[in-house]
Amino acid sequence: MSPQLPAIHEIWVYLSGSPLLALVLTLSAYQAGLLVYERFDRNPLANPVMIAIAIVASVITAIDMPYAKYFEGAQFVHFLLGTATVALAVPIYKGLAALRGRILPLLAALLAGGATSIASAVGIAKLMGADSAILGGFYAKSVTAPIAMGIAERINVSPTLTAVFAVTTGILGAILVRFVMDAIGMKSWWQRGFAVGVAAHGIGTSRAFSVHPEAGTYASLGMGLHGVLGAVLIPLAVQFAK
Amino acid sequence: MIAGLVQILLFQGLGEIVARFFLPLIPGPVIGLVLLLAWLRIRGSVPASVDLVATAFSQNLGLLFIPAAVGVVMFWPHIRSHALAIGAALVVSVVATMAVTALVLRAIAKDGQ
Repeated sequence: MSPQLPAIHEIWVYLSGSPLLALVLTLSAYQAGLLVYERFDRNPLANPVMIAIAIVASVITAIDMPYAKYFEGAQFVHFLLGTATVALAVPIYKGLAALRGRILPLLAALLAGGATSIASAVGIAKLMGADSAILGGFYAKSVTAPIAMGIAERINVSPTLTAVFAVTTGILGAILVRFVMDAIGMKSWWQRGFAVGVAAHGIGTSRAFSVHPEAGTYASLGMGLHGVLGAVLIPLAVQFAK
Repeated sequence: MIAGLVQILLFQGLGEIVARFFLPLIPGPVIGLVLLLAWLRIRGSVPASVDLVATAFSQNLGLLFIPAAVGVVMFWPHIRSHALAIGAALVVSVVATMAVTALVLRAIAKDGQ
């Protein structure tokens, strides 16, 4: 036995017992995701969050770290989701100035879009034989992830599954928005932006900002309104349906 | 930076208290969001320090849901056995949501451009 081995083992025990390992892993995986995203010229397929999730999931599986143990350290990052949700008030406030009497059409479109989002996802998955645990994850999936997880906790479905579906929805929306809008002949930027904000929340919004500033403003408004109204209406609708 | 973070945390705390005692069905941070929004409306502008923190958060929002989304490893066998249903539901749903939102907006809004 070499004398170094127990020393390395001791360091490992020390590190895996502190939140440091999970924090470093989370932040460096995100950093790696961002680097890949930049390298691919911000192609929506190279989504940095998706890459980071894949890295962290592979690493904790490879070193046999239970998810609960990882989360114990990473919960400091997770806690900030609530703070980030409160901070969404700032982009919404800035978006309100751009409303110019469009509030009624926007609210009507939001309600129609939000209902379509839940009904179509739950309907299709049910038809194809998914169980109720999976169906529950679809209820809040078009709402921005931090609010979606809060809603999931309130309606007793898995916040984790909801977050996974929400992130996937955001990525899909960011990739597909151009084709959908071109297919239905939608030309005005504010309407395109609002639609992607309602359907694909934060990831769709950052995509909209990178295409056109007016689209981005309305996308963040769509995301914000969907988040606030969804937090009120989705738990009520679920209670009503039961 | 710190001044902005303190203000946002105060609204988060306020939201949690309101949620706990008055509106248990709505997540506390969402109430905090609405309260902060109301305060910004009354104030008429965004304090520079709050703006700074909010921008930092919105640019790195993705980082914050990694810990929760990594929970996908616990659901992996379950998700894989329903992969087709989940994939179809997510793709069709996001396309339908975008199309319906945009079409309703175009039908009701008077100014097309």
